[in-house]
Amino acid sequence: MDADALAPVMPGRPVGVAIVDDHPVVIDGVRAWLAADSRLTVLATGDDPDEVLRTAPQADVVLLDLRLHGRLVLDKLAELSSAGKRVVVYSEHSDPATMLAALDAGAVAFLAKHEGREHCVATVLDAASDRPYVAPSLAGAMVGDPRPDRPVLSDKEREALLLWFQSMSKASVARRMRISEHTVKQYVDRARIKYTRAGRPAATKAALLARAIEDGLVRPEEIGIYRSRASTDQPTP
Amino acid sequence: MSAERLSGNPGVHNATFRQKFRRATFLPRPPRSTAVPDQRARPASDEFDTVPAAAAVARASDRGARIVAITIALVWHLTIGLPAVLAAWSTLAVPEVVIGGWLLVAALGVIAGSRLLRDIPLPAAPLAGLLLVVDVAVFATVGRAHLISPANWVWGTLAWFFLVAIWGQPVRRLLVLLGVHAATAMVAVVLHDATSAADLARATMAIYGTSSLPVAVFTGAMALAALSRQRAATAATANAMVAEREAAEQARQERGKRLGLVSRAASEVLTELARGRVDPADPQVQRRCMHAAARLRRLIAESDDVPHPLLHELRAAADLAERNGLPIDLVTIGTPPPLPVGVRRNLADPLTAGLADARDWARLTVVSSPDEVVVSLVTPDGEGPDTTGPTGDEDDGQVEHLYERDGKIRWTQTRWHR
Repeated sequence: MDADALAPVMPGRPVGVAIVDDHPVVIDGVRAWLAADSRLTVLATGDDPDEVLRTAPQADVVLLDLRLHGRLVLDKLAELSSAGKRVVVYSEHSDPATMLAALDAGAVAFLAKHEGREHCVATVLDAASDRPYVAPSLAGAMVGDPRPDRPVLSDKEREALLLWFQSMSKASVARRMRISEHTVKQYVDRARIKYTRAGRPAATKAALLARAIEDGLVRPEEIGIYRSRASTDQPTP
Repeated sequence: MSAERLSGNPGVHNATFRQKFRRATFLPRPPRSTAVPDQRARPASDEFDTVPAAAAVARASDRGARIVAITIALVWHLTIGLPAVLAAWSTLAVPEVVIGGWLLVAALGVIAGSRLLRDIPLPAAPLAGLLLVVDVAVFATVGRAHLISPANWVWGTLAWFFLVAIWGQPVRRLLVLLGVHAATAMVAVVLHDATSAADLARATMAIYGTSSLPVAVFTGAMALAALSRQRAATAATANAMVAEREAAEQARQERGKRLGLVSRAASEVLTELARGRVDPADPQVQRRCMHAAARLRRLIAESDDVPHPLLHELRAAADLAERNGLPIDLVTIGTPPPLPVGVRRNLADPLTAGLADARDWARLTVVSSPDEVVVSLVTPDGEGPDTTGPTGDEDDGQVEHLYERDGKIRWTQTRWHR
C-alpha cells in the first residue's frame, strides 16, 4: 500500500467533493459552504457511502458524517481509507475518543460540525493535497490523548496544539509562543503527522506521511520514532 | 467571582448540590488518630480516603488484642513465674542466672509493651534474639531437678513475650521462634539425660501446652484485624457509592432542568422561524439561534455523571454568563485530578472574572491530565479596560496566571502543574 494508490489532484481543476450525511439540511448547508469557493465542486451527495461513491468515483475528498442512521461508521471509514479515499470526517460527536478513533481508522482530518465554513473549506483543500489540517477541536483531542501508546509529541508541538485549541487563532498562538505563524502551523502539522503511525495502516496515512516528507515537515529518518504500536505490519512508505 | 458569589445565583439547586458534592469529596482530612473515624460524617469518596479509614478501624481493633497479649505476658511472668523461681531458689543450679533472665525479660516486656501500645515500631529481630539467649541461659542453669517444673519459667512465659516482640508480623516468624524454643528445650532435656518416656512425654506436653495458646491468640488477632480492615473498607466504599449516587442523581436532575429550559428557548425560535414570524436575516434572531445552539452544544458535551468540582464551578459561571446573554462554548478534555480548594480557586477565579466582563462570545476550555490542568478563556477584545479580577486568594506559586489582549482577543489562561 503506498501513496500512489491515491489519485493525484490535478492543479487547475477544482477539487471534487462527495458529501455523505443522513440529514438533507446538513448536506445543503455544507454544499452551500463549499460552493462559495471556486476551488471546490460538489460531485455527489447522499446518505449511503457506497452509493455516493458509485455516482462519483472520481471524488478527491469524501466528507463523511461519522454517524449514519444512528450508527457510528468507523468500519466504513477504515474501509474507504484503506481503499485510498481521502475521507474528512465531520461529526457532532466531538469527544476526544471518537476523534482519535477516526484518525486511527485513517481519516485524513476530523472536523466538529460546529467548527464552521472557514475550517471546513480549509480542511477539504488541505485533504485534497494530502496535507493535514488540524481544526481546534482535533488539536484538543490530540493534546489530551490519554492512551498509553499515544505518539510522543515534543513540548513545542504540545504547546502549539494546546494554544491553538484554546484560542482558535494561529496569530495569537504565534505571539504567545514568540514564533511565526508558519512555525505554529508546522508544529501542529508535525504533531498530526505523528498520528499517521497510530492505528491500522491506510493508504491515506501513507500519503500524508509521504507529502509531509516531500514538504520537509518531517525527515524520513525521523519516522522511526513515530512508531507507537506493534509496527511490524506498517511498512515505511 | 468567588464561589460565594456563584452560590448566590438563581439556581438554588446548584448551590445545594455543590455544597453536597464538596462534602462528599473534598472536606479537608481530619488529623489522623487511632480513634475509629466517623464514617458517616466523612464519607470517603475516593481511594485516597478509603484506605486510611479502613486502616484506622483495623488499628483500633488490633489495639485491643495487643493489650490482651501484653497483659497475659506480664501477669503470667509476675504471678506464676516469679513465685515459682523464688520458691525453688535454694535448689536451682545457678539461681542468679535464672532470676537475672527473669528480670531482663520483665524489663524487655515492659519496654516493648509500652512501645507497642504507642504504635512505635519495635526492633523485632534483636528483641527476639535476646529472648532466645535468655531461653538458652535459663535452660542451662535451672538444673536437672527443675528442668520441667514451674521454676523453669521460660517454659510458660517466653512464648507470650515472643508474641509481643513480633506483633503484626507474619505468623510463620512466631512459629520459627517457638520451634527454636522447643529445640532448646529438647536439647536441654537430652543433655540432662531426662530421656525416660515419662520425661519426654512431660516435655512434649509442656511445649504443646505453652505454645498452642499464644499461636491461637496471635493468629486470631491478625485475622480479626484483617477482617475489620476489610469491613471498614467495604463500609467506606459503600458510603462513597451512596454519596456518588446522590451527587449523580442531582447532576442528572440539574441537567434535565437545563435541557428543558434550553429546549424551550430553541423550539421557540425555531417555531417562529418556521411560521415566518421572524426574519432569519435579523441579527437579533441570529443571536438567539447562536445562543440556543451554544447552550445545546454545551449540554451535549457534558458527559461526566458527576462533574469534578472545578468543572462544576466553571459550568456554574458559564451558566450565569449565559443567562446574561453571552453565547459561550465550554469544552473540557480529560478529567482533572483531585485538587485542593486553593488551587481550584486560583484556576477558576481569573476565568470567572473574565467571563463577567465578556461581550459577544466566549470560549472556555479545560484540558486536564493527571499532572496538569490548563484552563483558558478567550473573548473578543474591544474597547474597555483590562479585566481586573481576583487572581486567587492563596497564591502558592502552583498556579500560573497569564492574561493578554491583542486587539482581536482577550486571552486568560491559568495553569496548574503537579
